[in-house]
Amino acid sequence: MTFDWSVVWQHRDALIAATGTTILLTLATMAIAVPCGIVVAALRLYAWAPVRAIATAYVELFRNLPLILVVYWAFYVLPIMTGLGLSPLATGLAALVLNVTAYNAETFRAGINSIRRGQVEAAMALGMSRMQALRRVVLPQALRRILPVLASTWVSLFKDTSLVSVIAVSELAYVAMQIRAQTFRVLEMLTAMAAIYWLLGYPQAKLVDWMQRRFAVTE
Amino acid sequence: MSPESQAQEPRAKAAGAKIIRYHGVIKRYGEFQALAGVDLDVHAGEVVCLIGPSGSGKSTLLRCTNGLESIQGGDIEFEGAALPREERDLRAVRTRMGMVFQSFELFPHLTALANVAEGPRTVLGKDQADANRRASAMLAKVGLADKAPNYPSALSGGQQQRVAIARALAMEPDVMLFDEPTSALDPETIGEVLNVMKQLADEGMTMVVVTHEMTFARRVGDWIAVFDSGRIVEQGPPAQIFDAPTTERTRDFLSHLGWTG
Repeated sequence: MTFDWSVVWQHRDALIAATGTTILLTLATMAIAVPCGIVVAALRLYAWAPVRAIATAYVELFRNLPLILVVYWAFYVLPIMTGLGLSPLATGLAALVLNVTAYNAETFRAGINSIRRGQVEAAMALGMSRMQALRRVVLPQALRRILPVLASTWVSLFKDTSLVSVIAVSELAYVAMQIRAQTFRVLEMLTAMAAIYWLLGYPQAKLVDWMQRRFAVTE
Repeated sequence: MSPESQAQEPRAKAAGAKIIRYHGVIKRYGEFQALAGVDLDVHAGEVVCLIGPSGSGKSTLLRCTNGLESIQGGDIEFEGAALPREERDLRAVRTRMGMVFQSFELFPHLTALANVAEGPRTVLGKDQADANRRASAMLAKVGLADKAPNYPSALSGGQQQRVAIARALAMEPDVMLFDEPTSALDPETIGEVLNVMKQLADEGMTMVVVTHEMTFARRVGDWIAVFDSGRIVEQGPPAQIFDAPTTERTRDFLSHLGWTG
């Protein structure tokens, strides 16, 4: 068996562009799913009971569905339900956001619950409202505590963006597979893809480890 | 003086306006009655100490005072008006009552200075410079000016509690509520906290103090209320409570603590 690694170099522009899309997809998903996760967590913790039930149902639904199913569902069902003709990229983003928001909501809820009740009482005794206590006292502490969990969600997400390749979003996995199909260079392309994912993923994980140490709060 | 004449001793600071009035206060947790009808007045400039065994309702009464707990019966008046039930109005009242907790509850993600500046900044809407100036002054007042940049984790228990007192004082409250402020402290740091409290009392701050420090209650308290099973079994000036208690329950409680006068 002979290898021809030049195929990777020949398609470098396509691979670089696709890597860019993967990074963009990860960034955009997290940028939306973090604030949405906080909102859903806050609804589950503090909202009027029926709203709380809806938030809980949302979390339990999307946390327990395979992501690839959500991606297909967003591709086939979302346009029918909403009448919107979304691009594959937007559809893929929507599916990832739905999934990651559910995970983040649980992470934030656990983080918020881990802060002692006395902290909220101390804030309220100063005259703060519940919202002020959440924003100024609880969330800053909870965020530091859950940073490692958010970080591992981030790293998982970076890899899971590959699942939107099934609806032809031209991110790294899809483009690499396309090149593979055109050139029949299976091993070379899969290895190149693995190398790119790993080389990008590893420093991210390390960066997050560093952030965790940097922002650690001791009591 | 005979015990009888001490028992009839007039209340030293009764001339001051009544800042807090508890009238028939009842607090229930399900079936359990934590407060079974409490009557007590707190006058301006007075130090009122609440003493009694654990679980007798002292801390509960304190937590009802600023509405951290709601009451099921009776009423609490603060500065002449019934304690509001509406959350928004309650917040306005809380800004005028400082509270100090047994477990300090400093905000661990903020420096000592930022902890003290937090109330003026977030609640009173002061700008950063103004809030920091006030916070520095309060830290100096509790003798911790040099600890301004430290995080709570780098402070001793006694220092943390003094920062917590400064945090409450930065709101310029009319009353300070202390919930067993020295119970979580190492013996060697209790004194520094009690000294700060004594200094506040000397400056005329109105204080309600839940405490197991009988020496402090005796020396600094103007009025002592003895709690048992959600009731005040006896109240009076320290001379009466500690030297000539009129009820068996007070005598029992004090003798359990090894109080010898």
